[in-house]
Amino acid sequence: MGIFQTVFVYADKTEMLAELCAGGKQLGSQVCALVLGPKEEVDKAFSYGADSVYHLGELKDRRIEDYTETIIHLVQKEKPELILIRSSKRAKLIAGRLAAELKTSVLTDVMEFTVDNNELHTKRLVYGGAGLKREYSTSEVVVATVGGGVFEALIEDNSRKGNIVEVDFVQPAHPVRCIEIRKKESESVNLSAAKCVVGVGRGFAKQEDLTLAKDLANLIGAEVGCSRPIAEGENWLPKERYIGVSGAMVKPDVYVAIGISGQIQHMVGANSAKTIVAINKDKAAPIFKQADYGIVGDLYTVLPALIEKIKVSK
Amino acid sequence: MKIITCYKIVPEEQDIVVKDDRTLSFDRAEWKIGQYDLNAVEAGMKLAEATGGSASALSIGGKELENSKLKKGILSRGPKELFIIADDYLREADTFQTASALAAAIKKMGSFDLILCGEGSSDLYAQQVGPQLGQLLGVTTLNAVSKIIPEGNKLVVERTLEDEVEVLEVTLPAVISVTTDINLPRIPGMKDILAAGKKPVTQWCLADIGTENIDCPTRSISTLAPDQTERKQIILEGEEAVQKLYDAVFK
Ligand SMILES: Cc1cc2nc3c(=O)[nH]c(=O)nc-3n(C[C@H](O)[C@H](O)[C@H](O)COP(=O)(O)OP(=O)(O)OC[C@H]3O[C@@H](n4cnc5c(N)ncnc54)[C@H](O)[C@@H]3O)c2cc1C
Repeated sequence: MGIFQTVFVYADKTEMLAELCAGGKQLGSQVCALVLGPKEEVDKAFSYGADSVYHLGELKDRRIEDYTETIIHLVQKEKPELILIRSSKRAKLIAGRLAAELKTSVLTDVMEFTVDNNELHTKRLVYGGAGLKREYSTSEVVVATVGGGVFEALIEDNSRKGNIVEVDFVQPAHPVRCIEIRKKESESVNLSAAKCVVGVGRGFAKQEDLTLAKDLANLIGAEVGCSRPIAEGENWLPKERYIGVSGAMVKPDVYVAIGISGQIQHMVGANSAKTIVAINKDKAAPIFKQADYGIVGDLYTVLPALIEKIKVSK
Repeated sequence: MKIITCYKIVPEEQDIVVKDDRTLSFDRAEWKIGQYDLNAVEAGMKLAEATGGSASALSIGGKELENSKLKKGILSRGPKELFIIADDYLREADTFQTASALAAAIKKMGSFDLILCGEGSSDLYAQQVGPQLGQLLGVTTLNAVSKIIPEGNKLVVERTLEDEVEVLEVTLPAVISVTTDINLPRIPGMKDILAAGKKPVTQWCLADIGTENIDCPTRSISTLAPDQTERKQIILEGEEAVQKLYDAVFK
C-alpha cells in the first residue's frame, strides 16, 4: 500500500526504531531513519530495514531536544512526504515544534494506518476512549506519532547496509541547560505481553491491602496492573502499571478487575482481554456489563476465598 | 512575572452517549473546563503568588466559551482577567489552528514571561498545542513539566519523562505544558466565585487577531465508538460464587 515516496522515521531511542522502519516500508518506497548516536546505532537502523540514514551526530553532552532545529532544517530541505515518530514525551515535543514550522498539525498516537483513495487515513482514541477518530492530513509533509505495537518489526538483518548522510548540527535558538538527570527506579514491566493480569482499583482501602491482589497474581502467574487513580493520585503502584487510554493496553487471556468501576477510559485498555472477570461490591458498577464473569461482593471476603480455593485445588 | 494560562472548553466525557450507529451524541454533555488545564491554571497562580506576578487566562474555541458560568469557573480559580476568542469556526480546530490562534491572541495581548498549558485537552488529548505554540512564538518550549520553581528571572523545572526526570534551567519567555501531578487545583469558594463576576473579560473575534483564514490541515472523517468485544456478562452471587468462578476461569 506504499503511497509515499520518502518516509522519515525517528525515535528518541534507537531500539524503538524497528517498528517504525517496518511501518515506513509498508507506507512508502524509501525509508530514511534519523539517527542520533554512535555508529552502532546507525548499523542498527539498517538492520531494522532503513534504506538510508541521516546521522544527526553523537549526542555527547547535548540534550536530545537540542537537535530539534537540526531536524527541522533537514525536513525542510529534503521534504519527505511522511514522518513517523515514536510516541514519547520528548518526541512529541520535537514533533510539535517541527509541525509548527511546517504549518501543520501532528496526527498523534496513531493506532492504525490505512490507505484509502490514495489518502493515508489514521485512527486514534479520543474522548478518553469513548471515540475512535478517523482523520487524515492534507499537508505536504504528514507528521504522525505512533505508539508501540502498531507495526510489527521486521526480522533484523545485520548484513543490510545503505547510504549514510552526515547532518550538520544547527544551534538551538533557545538552549535549555540541564542541571541534573534522575533515573526513575521504574521496574520495567511489560503489561502488554502478560498472559494474565490482575487489575486493582480504588475499591482497595489501603496500600497494604494490595498484598491480597499480589497473592492472587502470584498464584495464577499474573502481572499486577491498576486503574489510573491507584498509580496517579494514590501512587500505590508505579505509573507503568496503570491500564487504559492514557496507560498500558493489555491483551491477556484473563483480566481480573478488582474494585474497579469500569470507566471507559480504563476499559479500552482491557477490552482486548479474552476473558474479563470483575469483582465489585456494587451490583450497578458498569464493569459488570463489560465482564464475562462477575462476582458481586466485597473484595475483602471474595479475594481471600478465591485465593484459598486456588491454593487447595493446586 | 507575567503569566498567561491557556485552557480549553470540552464536553463532559461522562455524558457522551453512544448511539445505535456507533456515532457519539453530545446532546446531553455539558461543557466544562478541560480537566488538565486546571492544573495549568493552578500552576500559574502558584507562580504569580510566589513572584508577585500576575496571571491571566486565555481560551479560543466555539461560542460555548461565552457561557458565563464557564467564564466565572476559570476566573474564580484566580486569574485576574480573561481573554476569549469565541467563534464556531474554531470549535473543531485542530492543534495547528488552535496554536496559531492562541499565538495571534498572545501577540495582541502584549508581552509575557510565561505561557502555561495543560499537558493535553481532556477531550482530544493530542498534547500538541503547547509545543506548537512555543515554536510559533519563537520562545523556549517544554512539555511534561511536573515542578516549577522560580529563581530570579529564570525557572528551575522538573520534567517527568518515561524513565527519567530532567531538572532544567529555563530562561524566559517560555511556553510550558504541565503534567497533572504538578499540583492539586484549588476548589473556588463562594467568595472567589463572587469576585470572579467582577473581573474583566476581553472578547475578540478572529478578525481582531488577524486569523480569519488559518487553514485546518487535518480532515476528520468520522468519530465512532470503538468496537466492543461481546462479553458473557455472567453474574455470580452468593455462597457458590467463588466456586463457580474458579470452575469457569481458574481451573
Ligand atoms: C481523559 C481521561 C483519561 C483517563 N485515563 C485513564 C486511564 O488510562 N486508565 C484509568 O484507569 N483511568 C483513566 N481515567 C480515569 C477514569 O475516568 C476513572 O476515574 C478511573 O478509571 C476510576 O478508577 P477506579 O475504577 O479504580 O475507581 P472508582 O471509579 O472509584 O471505582 C472503585 C470501585 O470499587 C468498588 N469498591 C469499593 N469498595 C469495594 C470493596 N470493598 N470490594 C469490592 N469493590 C469495591 C466500587 O463499587 C467502585 O465501583 C481517565 C480519565 C480521563 C478524564
